Amino acid sequence: MTEDQEILAAEYVLGTLDADERVQAQALVESDAAFAALVRGWERRLGELQAMVEPVEPSPEVWERIKAAAIGMPPEEPMRLPQVTSARRRESATFSFAARNLALWRGAAAAAGALAAVLALFIGLREFSVLPPAPSRPVETAQTPDVGRFVAVLQRDATAPAFVLTVDVASRSLTVRRMAATPEPGRSYELWLVSDRFPQPRSLGLIGEQEYTVRPTLASFDPETIRRATYAVSLEPQGGSPTGIPTGPVLFGGELIEVSPR
Amino acid sequence: MLTPAELVWLLAAVAKGDDVAFERLYAATRAKLYGVVLRILRRHDLADEVIQETYLKIWRSAGQFDPALSAPITWMATIARNRAIDLVRKRAEGSIEEEPEAAEVAAENPDPLARRELNERLKALFACIGKLEPERQRLVLLAYYNGWSRERLAKELDTPVNTIKTWLRRSLLEIRECLGS
Repeated sequence: MTEDQEILAAEYVLGTLDADERVQAQALVESDAAFAALVRGWERRLGELQAMVEPVEPSPEVWERIKAAAIGMPPEEPMRLPQVTSARRRESATFSFAARNLALWRGAAAAAGALAAVLALFIGLREFSVLPPAPSRPVETAQTPDVGRFVAVLQRDATAPAFVLTVDVASRSLTVRRMAATPEPGRSYELWLVSDRFPQPRSLGLIGEQEYTVRPTLASFDPETIRRATYAVSLEPQGGSPTGIPTGPVLFGGELIEVSPR
Repeated sequence: MLTPAELVWLLAAVAKGDDVAFERLYAATRAKLYGVVLRILRRHDLADEVIQETYLKIWRSAGQFDPALSAPITWMATIARNRAIDLVRKRAEGSIEEEPEAAEVAAENPDPLARRELNERLKALFACIGKLEPERQRLVLLAYYNGWSRERLAKELDTPVNTIKTWLRRSLLEIRECLGS
């Protein structure tokens, strides 16, 4: 790839090309995978600038026109599901949180940004000195090499961790520390384990009102599943999801990062 | 604004033809996307047109969204921005008369830094843009936010277009090197 093509891709994304050059760049995106990758790279580098744009409400008629035009125009392309095999893709008829979304969901957690990882390490390492001890349970997995301490920062955006989840794989217990999340009257926060090994998220129970919630609820999962899962918190009716799968908005999520040597 | 994870879910549902999810997605993102395109187009009638095309494109091709590559709102804003810039270029630079009410939205000097929480990616990008000479910082931000062509930038900054071209090239390469990816 020449530097000229790199600059063409960069200026296409920045928006400084004239009409002819834009047509040329768009043709290259369609026909040249290497050039398309350059464009994606620049979209990644510069795309966050959109976060600074002041929102402006469009008029209500705009939605009416979109809705009218969208009717009878079904989506064209299938979803990309790189991480979920078809055997696992058993869809729920009543709820869209089926296995096919898990790959997407994990991607979103990964895309939440590098700060999550840094923050997790930082918070995780500090938390261990003040965490209450995990409940004592028979250690059933002493022989497994996968034992370790892990932490996940469950957050809504990069700057506000809502919960910090720490997992002790040896005792398969977890501790949730409430950080920025505020209690919602009449609702409960419910913690979920999301894994491509299961067709649907598994509830890990409600998160209590107090600062720390300690639970030995991971006993039924093997260490590899625990380590590789995504953890999510949804807001449910008081007492938890009535259906066993998330029914309310999923507010926070994150993946585990190892914080102590095995 | 919903969380990125929620937007990913909505996009996944939209890809399956879920019109309720589509309406929720629109409700959650319309003001951001409208802000992006109005800033470039500076006319509400054109912004309406572009936002309509943008959401129809999202409706049809939500399945192409890959959460490993970008945040959902960034993906959507990229679609909106590309359509807005295409329209501006097709209508020939300078022939668009600006609405007075759009002038505030399209303020020339984006100075958003003081007002918002910045995510880590954006912080890194601003740190790198901040290393450019002040005039080139302005050049890059005006280009991005206003969607100005090199010719328009040359006119606004009272600088020969060849100089603008050289500045852009160097600035972009420096940004790439600074970001290290």
